[in-house]
Amino acid sequence: MSNDRPRIGVYVCHCGTNIAGVVDVKAVAEHASGLPGVELARDYSYMCSDPGQAMIRKDIEEKGLNRVIVASCSPRMHELTFRGALDDAGLNPYYLEMANIREQDSWVTEDHDLATDKAKKLVDAAVAKVSLLEALEQKEVDVTPACLIIGAGIAGIQAALDIADAGFRVYLVDKDPSVGGHMAQLDKTFPTLDCSACILTPKMVDVGNHPNIELMTYSQLENVEGFVGNFKAAIRKKARYVDADKCTGCNLCAESCRLANRIPSEFEEGIGNRSAIYLPFPQAVPAIYTVDPERCLQLTKGKCGKEGPACAAACAADAVDFEQEDEVVEVDAGTIIVATGYDIFDAKRKPEYGYGDNDNVITGLEFERLVSASGPTEGHILLGRDKKGEGGWEPKKVAFIHCVGSRDESVGNEYCSRVCCMYLAKQAHLIREKLPDAEINVFYMDVRAFGKGFEEFYDRVRREGVRYIRGNPSEIYRKGDDDHTMIIKVEDTLTSTPLESEADLVVLGVGLEPRRDNREIIDIFKLSQSADGFYLEAHPKLRPVDTASAGIFLAGCCQGPKDIPDAVAQAKGAASSALILLASGRVAVEAQVAFVSPDECRGCGFCVDVCPFGAIELVEENRMGNIVGVAEVNEALCKGCGSCAAACLSGAIQPKSFRDEQILPQIAVLGVKI
Amino acid sequence: MSEEFEPNIVAFLCNWCSYAGADLAGTSRLKYPPNVKAIRVMCSARVNPLFIVNALQQGADGVLISGCWPGDCHYIEGNYFARRRFMLMHKLLEHAGVDPRRINMSWVSASEGAKYKEVVEETVERVKAAGPMDQFRRRQLNW
Amino acid sequence: MVDSKKLQEKAREILERDDVRRLLGWKRPTYGFEAAPAVIKDASGVDDLLFDATCVNNLASFITLEEKPPVPRGEEPDTRKTAIMAKGCDSRAIVQQLAEKAYGRDDVIVLGIPCSGVIDRRKAGEMFGDVSAPVAAECEGDKLILEVDGEKKEVDRKELMMDKCLRCRYPNPVISDELLADEVEKFADDDFSDVARFEKQSQEDKWAFFDEQFSKCVRCYSCRNVCPMCYCVECIVTNLKPQWTRRSTDISENTAYHLQRAWHLTGRCIECMECERVCPVDIPLMTLNRRMTRDIKEMFDYEPGVDPEAEPLLASYNPQDPEEYIM
Repeated sequence: MSNDRPRIGVYVCHCGTNIAGVVDVKAVAEHASGLPGVELARDYSYMCSDPGQAMIRKDIEEKGLNRVIVASCSPRMHELTFRGALDDAGLNPYYLEMANIREQDSWVTEDHDLATDKAKKLVDAAVAKVSLLEALEQKEVDVTPACLIIGAGIAGIQAALDIADAGFRVYLVDKDPSVGGHMAQLDKTFPTLDCSACILTPKMVDVGNHPNIELMTYSQLENVEGFVGNFKAAIRKKARYVDADKCTGCNLCAESCRLANRIPSEFEEGIGNRSAIYLPFPQAVPAIYTVDPERCLQLTKGKCGKEGPACAAACAADAVDFEQEDEVVEVDAGTIIVATGYDIFDAKRKPEYGYGDNDNVITGLEFERLVSASGPTEGHILLGRDKKGEGGWEPKKVAFIHCVGSRDESVGNEYCSRVCCMYLAKQAHLIREKLPDAEINVFYMDVRAFGKGFEEFYDRVRREGVRYIRGNPSEIYRKGDDDHTMIIKVEDTLTSTPLESEADLVVLGVGLEPRRDNREIIDIFKLSQSADGFYLEAHPKLRPVDTASAGIFLAGCCQGPKDIPDAVAQAKGAASSALILLASGRVAVEAQVAFVSPDECRGCGFCVDVCPFGAIELVEENRMGNIVGVAEVNEALCKGCGSCAAACLSGAIQPKSFRDEQILPQIAVLGVKI
Repeated sequence: MSEEFEPNIVAFLCNWCSYAGADLAGTSRLKYPPNVKAIRVMCSARVNPLFIVNALQQGADGVLISGCWPGDCHYIEGNYFARRRFMLMHKLLEHAGVDPRRINMSWVSASEGAKYKEVVEETVERVKAAGPMDQFRRRQLNW
Repeated sequence: MVDSKKLQEKAREILERDDVRRLLGWKRPTYGFEAAPAVIKDASGVDDLLFDATCVNNLASFITLEEKPPVPRGEEPDTRKTAIMAKGCDSRAIVQQLAEKAYGRDDVIVLGIPCSGVIDRRKAGEMFGDVSAPVAAECEGDKLILEVDGEKKEVDRKELMMDKCLRCRYPNPVISDELLADEVEKFADDDFSDVARFEKQSQEDKWAFFDEQFSKCVRCYSCRNVCPMCYCVECIVTNLKPQWTRRSTDISENTAYHLQRAWHLTGRCIECMECERVCPVDIPLMTLNRRMTRDIKEMFDYEPGVDPEAEPLLASYNPQDPEEYIM
C-alpha cells in the first residue's frame, strides 16, 4: 500500500440529464472538494466519453492525482472503462473507486434534495475507501498446451477429437480396458434408430489413431495437483499382463483360457460370458487383450494347470507377460475435462419389482445386449438359455416399466433421468420388429418426448401397436412356480381401473445415477455435487460446462442425465472452453485475491474450511525458531469472494480491495446521521 | 409538527446478484426511499456479521444484507455460509435487546429489480417501526 | 473423591518421562476458596498437587497462551509434551483447541479428573466472609465438606457450587489419556432455564439490563485473557488497524466489545464460565453465550468441545439451514 498522501480527484458525472436532472451535481462536486484528501472535484456531462476520460488523464498527469473517484453510473457498467483511463495515464488501475449515483440514486429517488444528499453520502463513502486502496498487479500464468480428459465414453471421445484436431495434445484416460463407455453397449439409438456401435466405432478408431491423442485405457487417475494452466496428474496404468506392442487381437488366448466363457461379462451386463483373458467387445479400442487379475488362475492361485498358463501357450505373438507391473505416469496439462459418465440404477433397490429373483425381469441396459446383433443371443429375444448358451424361449408378452429409480423419493432420486421415456419407446419398437405378434405394454407416469424427432417417434411406436398404460406398478411377481408369466400389479390411472397385467418379459426402465465410485474423482478435483449427486456446474444457465475450479470442465452424463446428442454438444462446449485457455496460452488470475498476514494467523484453518475453491492451505512457518501452522493463499485459485475474511477471528486473511480496513470506514461514513 | 423519523440504513449487496438486481431496479426507473445506502462486496459471504454491530454503533438504525439465492452463488457456496452466520448473529443481537426488525437479510437475484425495490421498502418500514437506534450510538469525537 | 497420593504418584510418573516438559495442575493457594494453578517442571514439585472442589481454574488456557520465546540459533525448539489435569469442562476446552489445531493431540497428555463440582467463591464469600487461610473442600454425595480457617463445615452442595456445576452436562472428561478417579454421575439435567427466563423479557428490558451491566465494565480484558478459546495472536478488539472498538470505556464501546466476543465464541464457547468468575465487577458475561449454546444445540445439534474432529460450526453449512427470517 502506498505511503503517499492521497491526492484524490473526484468526478461527478451528469450523464446528460440522467443524473443531473435529479441530483444537484454541482453541489455534490463542491461537497466533495471539501473532503479530506480531495485535491479537486469536477462535474461533467459524460465522464465515460473520450473528453471525459481525457479530463481524468490530464488531471492525473498535471495535478499529480494518485486516486480517482468517478461518481456516475454503476461500476458494473464502466469500472473497466475508467480503470483503462487510469492505466493510460500511468496510474495503477486499482486506484479507482466509483460511487453509484445513477442506478442506485438518481434513477430511483423521487425527491431531488434527498437524492442529492444520498449522492453526497455515497461520495463520502467512496472517498473513505479510495484512500486505503492498494495498487494491484494483474498476473498471468502460462497454460500448458495439453488437455487431460478423464473418461472415454462418447463425451470424452468427442472432446478429445475436437481438441486434438485443433492441434493440442490430449491425454485421454479411461479405467476400462476399452474406450466407448455405455454407448458401445447400446443397440439402436432413438429416435433415428442409428446403430450405436456403427456411429461410435469410427470415432473410437480415430481416437486410437490420432497423432495428438495419447490413449491410456485400463488406467486410473490417482492424483492431480496444481491449478489452471498448470495441472500435474499422476495416472496409474494398470497391468494388463499382455504386451501392447505384440498383441495382434487374434483371440486364441481367450479361446484356450481354462476359464473360457465362464466369467460373466461386464460389457454384456452379465447376460453373456467372457474368459479370464479377454477383449471386452470385438470392436474394442485399443484391441489389446487384458487379463482379469481377480479371476485368472495364474494370478490368483499362482498356477494355471500343469503345463502353465494356457493363454501364453496359445499366443503366437508371445504377448502374454505375467511379470508385467502397474506403471504410474505423470502428465502435465493446462486444462482438464471430466467426462466420467454414469451408472444405471441398481434395480435390486426396488425389490418389489422382482429383479434379481427372476431371469425374465431385466434392466434396460441388459435389454440392449439382448437385442443387439453382436450380443450373446445374436439379437434374438431369447430368455432362459442354459450355461452353454443353448435353448431358451421367446416371450410373447413384453412389459416396459417407466421411472425405475427415477422420480422416486423412496430411493433418494427425485430427479427425472431424461432418456428413459425415449429409450423404452425405442426398445418397444425393437420388440415389435423382432416379435411381430408380441403383446407389448408400456407402463408410464408421463411420456417426455421433448427432443428433435422424439414426439414423432413416440407416435410411430404407438401406431405399431404398442400399448401405453398410465400407471406406476406397485408389484411385479411370478404367477406360478411352473411358468414364466409375471404379474404386474398396477392401476390404470386414466380409467381408474386396477389391473393385473401379464408379461413373460419385463424390462425395467432404470434411470441414470452418478457413478458409485465417484468419491475419488470428487476428492481429487474438489468437485461439488448438485442435490441429485451429479457434478455441479458453475452456473446452471450460463456456465453449464464449467466447474467452480478454473480450468476444469465437465462433459456428458457426469454432470446430469442426457442423451447422446446432448452429451456430444456438451463435450464440444467443454472442448471449446478448454481451447480458449489452450489457444491463448496465458490465463489471467484474479487480482483482487485474498492475502494472509502470517504474523497474525493462528493456524485454525477456518478459512481453509470455507473457501469454495480450495485455494487456501495451512503450511508450516518458522516463527522465530518455533514451527507454527499458518494459512497460505494460492493466488491462481483464489477468486476474491472474501468468505475467508468473514470466517477469520483474527482478521489475518483479507481480500485485496475489500479489506476490513477499507469497509469499516465506509460503514462509519454511511452510518453517521447527518 | 415533529418530523417523521427517517431511518438511516446501511446495506451490503453482493456484486453478482443483489448489486446487479439493485442496478436493474434503477434501469427500470422503479422508485424507492433513499434511506438505504449500499456498500458493494463481492459476495454475501464477505460480510462479517460484526459489520452489523459496527454499523449500528456508527449510527445506522438498521442494516440490510442481500445475496444470491441459495444454489446460485457466483462463488458456489458463499451465501450458504452467510445464511448460517446471519441467522446466528440475529439470535445474538435479539438476546442483547436489539429490535430484530433492524437486521434484515434478503435474496435478490440479478434479474429481480422489482424485488429489490420491495426489499428496500420493507426494510425501511421495519426499521422505521423500530425507531431510531440512539442507545448504541458511538460518541462522535469533535475534531 | 480423588486420592491425592495417587494423583501425586501419577504426576511423578509422568514427569519422570523423557518426553514431558511440564505438568499443569492445582495446589493450595495462600488463602481463599480457590486453589492456585501449579506448573510443575520436575518430579520434586509433585507433592503440592491436589484435587478438590476448590480446583476452579481451567488450565487449558495455559497451553495456548504460553509465549514461545525465539529459539537461539543452532538450537531446536522444545517440543516435549505438556501434561494437564483436566476436569470435565477443562477437557472440553482441550478438545475444542485440538479441533482448531491450536496444537496436536500428541503435544498433550490429558489426565482426566471426573468432577462433582467446584466452589463459587462469591457464594462462599457471602456465606463465610473473608478467610485468612486456604480452604479445603470435598464433595460427599449432596454435601460439601469444607475446612474454613481451621473449622469443619458441612453445607448443602446446591448452596455453594458454581451455577455451571449444578447443571453440568459433562462432569466426566470427554478426552483423556488417563482417568485419575472413577467416573461420576451427572448432577442434574441442563434445561437452559436460565436462558428461557432471560428471553421472556422485552427487548427494551434486555437492552437496559446489558446497559447497566456493561457500564460497569472497565475493559480490563480479564474475561478474554482467561478464556481458553481466546488465544489469537492479535485480538481484533485491541487492534488499531483496523480499529473495531475504541479504547474508551464509553457504554457503546463496552457493548460492542462484549458483542464481538460473544460472536467470536458462537459455536466455540464450552461454558467453563471462567469469564464470569474472573470479572472484577461481577458482570454476568455468560448471559449471551448461554443463549447461543442453547440455540446451536437445538438448531444444529452442535456442541463445541466434544469431538476433536468436528467441523467448526461457522465454517460449515447445511443446504437445509433455516432461513425463515430472510426476505
